[in-house]
Amino acid sequence: MYNPKYIIDVLADNIRKTRNPFGAGNGTVNKWWKGSDLPSNGDAMLFTGLMYQLMPFIKKTTVQIERFEDTKMADYVWLQKYVPKLMVKLGYIFMADKKDKKASNHILKSMVKLLVKSNVNLFYRPKLDYYSGILLYDLGDNEGFIEHAEFVANKLKENGIKKIITVDPHTTYALKVLYPKYTGIEFDVKTYFELIDFEARDGNSQVTLHDPCFYGRYLELSDKPRKILDRFGIDHVDVRNSGKFTHCCGGPAESISPSLTKEILSKRYGSLQETGKPILAMCPVCLGNLQKIDADVEDLSVFLAQYAN
Amino acid sequence: MTQVYPEFADELEGFGVNTTMDCFNCGTCAAICPLIYEHFPRKMIRYAQIGAKDRILENYEDLWRCLHCGLCIQTCPREADPGDLILGLRRFVVDHWRRT
Repeated sequence: MYNPKYIIDVLADNIRKTRNPFGAGNGTVNKWWKGSDLPSNGDAMLFTGLMYQLMPFIKKTTVQIERFEDTKMADYVWLQKYVPKLMVKLGYIFMADKKDKKASNHILKSMVKLLVKSNVNLFYRPKLDYYSGILLYDLGDNEGFIEHAEFVANKLKENGIKKIITVDPHTTYALKVLYPKYTGIEFDVKTYFELIDFEARDGNSQVTLHDPCFYGRYLELSDKPRKILDRFGIDHVDVRNSGKFTHCCGGPAESISPSLTKEILSKRYGSLQETGKPILAMCPVCLGNLQKIDADVEDLSVFLAQYAN
Repeated sequence: MTQVYPEFADELEGFGVNTTMDCFNCGTCAAICPLIYEHFPRKMIRYAQIGAKDRILENYEDLWRCLHCGLCIQTCPREADPGDLILGLRRFVVDHWRRT
């Protein structure tokens, strides 16, 4: 286990200086939209919160974190905050696998495809798309979280943003619940799958949904993807721990103790495997973890986008 | 010897926790917790109730094992939000680190 103090210090420092938990800078990380014809004005702004874009980087850094956990090197992790941000930026460019970056981008493009097919009048402004700060909140650095949340909320407010479409449970919870509570600024927040509205038929597919904790319990949204699957005629086989009683994938412990994450993930994967069906994830953290254990898993958006042709 | 601070529950309100004394230590949280780790989070909540600050600060690592997955919050019969109490204790410890 890493000393949480060091991890919090590094993350808080990165977010303060670059508005990004890894210190890589948003422009370096957020490139999925390039080449697309997304409008910059419309009814609701797509706000990715950059978590899917960070997946390839998380995958690589986790390997290093795993290697040094409970070794003497773990005590020097705080030195990361003294690494020049330019080096971190280069690290992101060269460390993150091209294939992984492409896969993350494909997930976001699939979400856009679903929204367009549903006639949602969405727009995107990459410069207003920030990391939500949720990791600072989860790790107990409320001061750092509030400072960042105020920065992001004010940027959105100054630019007249009122309606937001989110793509992952952590960012959704931050913007929908925590931002109003800690910044006093409210937005009309909906996650992309709440807006899916078109007809499709498939009488053969069977899947198992892995509900993320934030959608299942904190936001109580587990019925929404199931209703879409029902509408499309896709059979979903639930495991015992699903919906409000879903089981964590272990992801939240990853920055402090990858070995603990592994332990929790193995338990969860064991129960998901019991159905024998392909797994659908709805969170970049859950998806990354299940991929790490070689599960037959894909993101809900990618699975659904095949019906949006 | 452990010094206790009965007013600690009031102090925790400053860290966003107002359910410290609601818990009656039934252990449902420890039974449902995916960690299955030494009566976590029940033991930590007991420390908070009696204000055993030293014990909390000594065992701070346990607080960061919590996944904040919310299963204990969902099942607590007293609606004492054990997971949120643990999050509040993290804030207390972070604040202590920054002040000392």
